[in-house]
Amino acid sequence: MTVIEHRVGVFTTDEHLVIRSWDEWLASVTGISAEEARGERLAALFPEIEARGLLTRFERVLAEGVVEVLATAFHHYLIACAPLTPSKRFERMQQRVTIAPLREDRAIVGTLVTIEDVTARLDRERDLDEQLASADEAVRLRAAQALAEEEERASAKKLMGALGDESWRVRRVAVDGLAQQVEAGEVSDLLRALREEHHNPGVLNSALQVLALSGVDAIAPLAEFLNDADTDLRIYATHALGDQHDPRAIPALIGALDDQDANVRFHAIEALSKLRATDAVDTLTAIAESRDFFLAFPALDALASIGDTRIAARLVPLLEDEVLRSPAADALGQLGDGEVVAPLAALLNTEGAPVSVIAQSLAALFKRYQRAYQESAYIADLASGAINATGVQNLIAAIDTAAGDELRDLVLVLGWLEGERIERTLVPLMGEATARKEVVEALVRYGERVTDLLIEQLGAEDVETRKAAIVALGRIGDPRAVPALVEALTNDDDLIIPAAGALGKIGDRRAFEALLDLIGHTDAAVRQAAVSAINSLGHPDMAARAVILLNDANPYVRESAVRIAGYFGYDECAELLLQRCGDEEENVRRAAIEHIPYIEDERALAVLGDALENATPRVRAAAAHAFAQVESARALPYLLKALDDADAWVRYFAARAIGQHGYSESLDDLMRLAQTDTARQVRIAAVDALGQIGGPRAVAVLATLAEAMEPDLMSAALKALGQIGHPDALPPLLEALRSTDQARRLKALAALGERGGQGVAEMLQWVAAADQDAAMAQAAIDALARLATAEAINALITLTADTARREAAIAGLAHLGQRHIEAIGHGINHPQSSVRRAVVEALGRMKQPLASELLIQALDDREASVRLATVSALAHLGSRNVEKRLVMLARTDTDAAVRGAAQRALRR
Amino acid sequence: MHSYADTLGLSDSAFTLLRDLIHERTGLFYDNGKSDLLIDKLSPLVIDRGFTSFLDYYYLLKYDVEADEEWKRVADALSVQETFFWREVDQVKAVVEQVVPDYFSAARAQPLRIWSAACATGEEPLSIAMALQEKGWFERAPIEIYATDASRAAIAKAQRGLYRERSFRNLPPHLRARYFREEQGAWRIAPELHSKIKWATVNLLSEADVGLMARVTIIFCRNVFIYFSEAAIRKTVRWFSQRMTTPGYLFVGAAESLLRMTNEFQFEEIGDAFVYVKK
Repeated sequence: MTVIEHRVGVFTTDEHLVIRSWDEWLASVTGISAEEARGERLAALFPEIEARGLLTRFERVLAEGVVEVLATAFHHYLIACAPLTPSKRFERMQQRVTIAPLREDRAIVGTLVTIEDVTARLDRERDLDEQLASADEAVRLRAAQALAEEEERASAKKLMGALGDESWRVRRVAVDGLAQQVEAGEVSDLLRALREEHHNPGVLNSALQVLALSGVDAIAPLAEFLNDADTDLRIYATHALGDQHDPRAIPALIGALDDQDANVRFHAIEALSKLRATDAVDTLTAIAESRDFFLAFPALDALASIGDTRIAARLVPLLEDEVLRSPAADALGQLGDGEVVAPLAALLNTEGAPVSVIAQSLAALFKRYQRAYQESAYIADLASGAINATGVQNLIAAIDTAAGDELRDLVLVLGWLEGERIERTLVPLMGEATARKEVVEALVRYGERVTDLLIEQLGAEDVETRKAAIVALGRIGDPRAVPALVEALTNDDDLIIPAAGALGKIGDRRAFEALLDLIGHTDAAVRQAAVSAINSLGHPDMAARAVILLNDANPYVRESAVRIAGYFGYDECAELLLQRCGDEEENVRRAAIEHIPYIEDERALAVLGDALENATPRVRAAAAHAFAQVESARALPYLLKALDDADAWVRYFAARAIGQHGYSESLDDLMRLAQTDTARQVRIAAVDALGQIGGPRAVAVLATLAEAMEPDLMSAALKALGQIGHPDALPPLLEALRSTDQARRLKALAALGERGGQGVAEMLQWVAAADQDAAMAQAAIDALARLATAEAINALITLTADTARREAAIAGLAHLGQRHIEAIGHGINHPQSSVRRAVVEALGRMKQPLASELLIQALDDREASVRLATVSALAHLGSRNVEKRLVMLARTDTDAAVRGAAQRALRR
Repeated sequence: MHSYADTLGLSDSAFTLLRDLIHERTGLFYDNGKSDLLIDKLSPLVIDRGFTSFLDYYYLLKYDVEADEEWKRVADALSVQETFFWREVDQVKAVVEQVVPDYFSAARAQPLRIWSAACATGEEPLSIAMALQEKGWFERAPIEIYATDASRAAIAKAQRGLYRERSFRNLPPHLRARYFREEQGAWRIAPELHSKIKWATVNLLSEADVGLMARVTIIFCRNVFIYFSEAAIRKTVRWFSQRMTTPGYLFVGAAESLLRMTNEFQFEEIGDAFVYVKK
């Protein structure tokens, strides 16, 4: 009120416009005292008023009793005077003037005039206008924030302008501000913004967000736009309705499928897709079946998105259409379930079948079942039972000419089937890089019966084929392969390492001597592979052999023997291991030092300490590394000293070891290294250690380093801050989230997901919802899933309402684990049916008894689409105790789709 | 599917960082489907350095004072040395039967320079030399052949000139008999042919390296771009085009296409081979 009092003046006139009262404010701004003004005719005191034609407005008030307002934008002022405070734009005070009739009883006896000084406000508005048009995002952001805090209508209008800003941060503030300010009356303004700016996606999306967040009902006016003569308007109305997440939009959109304009019909299909409009699937399927070149594609996409499995079988014939077969295959892969496998197989079993697209569909279905339910084998089993000899022949023939993804899908499907011819077809395909993984998986599944075929491949021309055969043999674990693998181990340089790995997996002791022969190999990787395999064999003679080998003349042999003896911790080798710490060869000493912490001998610490102080740089580095495994209290003095070692790698491993031990005593040294060490990797290791130790002093250093230009250092500092629970660690992470550098923001998101904190879930939700960078949005969803607090789970549930984020948010929820099921289950009562469906889907993927119990509640959902999704989810979970409920639904549900799904679920 | 990292017990937590660093420095890009391959190639180096994680090795390559030396080892490890004589020989024939005669028909005083830019263990430049020798070109005209690879180890093998059986899968027997003699279970290239080639180590992602070599009329750069990212290919091809003579002939592998990568060459058919021609 203080502000108003100081900026408004009031005077009155009689019916002849003679001034009767004149307040102090007016006296002060005009320099005319009340005594001077009273009794003077207005036009005499201020002749300009008459000259500007403003007296007629007074006369109208007196004659008609109306209230006249002199708009500032047009008239600027009534009484010319200087602004109260200096203005950079206006020489004269800008005034908002209201002229109201002054009455006595019912008679008009004069005028009551209020003059409001709006100069400062206009100045500020112009400033904000300029700031909103600035090229600097930070300036625009501040302006939007200032407007968002105001309650004036003018602010709302400016904020609407900011909805089209190129920066998502500015748009976010505008959406936030408007969502607070908008009232039902403003819906028309928003809709006007939509109408006028519907070609600007920024405005469109932001205006729609305001509508969604403000809770104002826009369905009816938007639906009305669908009857407008303007085609463009009808198109954006379909967009807007699709984004309202409100099933009440569905009937209007289904009506729009009959629009005279194909473009409107096209966009209506997309909107129905967004709304997952189960009610539209029959019409959409009919459009797909019409094979209309323009509309069948989006119709198939929409059907895939809606996910009503009832119509899947109707799409199978479209695989025979050369134009539509690919999107139809996609749709079947996405929305199909076990029910579509049989018709796909039936088509595959015909001569001239579109083999590749069928394989594409089956492969997509297989992958989706694996991704969502970890049940890809279900699809493979159904397919293998339904594909006959003709189908097999078709697959094999198609493989002859296929390449790339097509070949991979064909191989995947063929690999579900069995038979000698299939096996012989698959084995040579190990040479095809794109299909190698699928071939190996199939062969491993076939098991020992393909051992001979795989052994044949050990002589193949292509080295990758030979390697893949070895990998498969190792995984099959058939001891019959051992002689051939031993031969490969000894005769083929390219195969030594994979052969050693395979022999290690098979674990047959016949390979022992051949592997031991390799521990002196000149190639370090070969030695390591041989050592790993020998360690897997666990041969009873190894301890005795190690005693001998630790004294071998060949340093490579001694080095490998150290690794084997250290791994098993043979008592009889302890003394020799200590001796090898002083071996003449550096690599042997290094290996011995690495393993010395694992032997139980009092002398080990002294040997390690001596090595850390006096050995060569590489051995000192190995000792620093090894100290991570030494009992904490005893290691500290050694490691603290090592932080000052002349060699960077010694300091590096010492810092890492200190971090693992969490020595707070080393804070000063670590802070020094993090800030000033000459070797970048040492600074990074020190930063990592500071994150493990934590505390406000560590945070202060890390906050500075989080702004470093060097990406690795910055990244390590942000990660370290994410590990620290101290409240000071949060602001630098939030600051990094506002960076213009995407890499920095991604790291900040990951760290926030680890750390959490007040307001973090909300911030992550905003990024996930509003950031146009898909990687940022995904990272924010991942961070929410890692956070897994009640707020984060709610945020993920809310995000499922956004079609662009739905799948990622569902995946995030589904991976949260058993202890979060109850929190996820709250989403079953969400007001939006699309969210409830998403929650059902997430629960269905969790395969937990508690999830099934929550799903049973969703069988009573008021929306058929939610009940349908629930039936599908329960069918996947295979819960026996829901059978009665399914029987009831199959008989009595009001929706045919739900009844059908329940019947199919019961047949499983 | 598998990787040596499992067998060797390495942590792959920082593998992506390392992959991107290698892409930046060498142009070689290993997408997610090929990550096992890269892990296999690098694991021995990580082990040999005494490290247990790719992160340590990444810091070594990026920050250590001895990183330059380590990068040479990386180049060796990543080198694809699975090649053979007379591979994709139509292109070699196109050079010998059409490009070389056209070049010397213009009575040029300058020697004809040929660069085999990713020669691995030398089978490609030796195949070119054999084809030229078969047509008697070395006696009639000045021809220089340069052969380079990013891998020191590959070039060292090429300089030794000793080849195993796998390198001969495509070479006609009479050429093998004429240009090789058996030695310790392998085959040694005839010294007079071997000496026609000048060997060097070149990183195709180094403008300085490419600048030294690319002032030639013919470049064979085959079966290397399949391992490069698009950005790396564009860069290297641009450096080629800036320095090659006009006309200049660039041969790439049958599985490689530059049509989307450059406007600086015209795609032409010469004999039975396709070639990118700078005009």
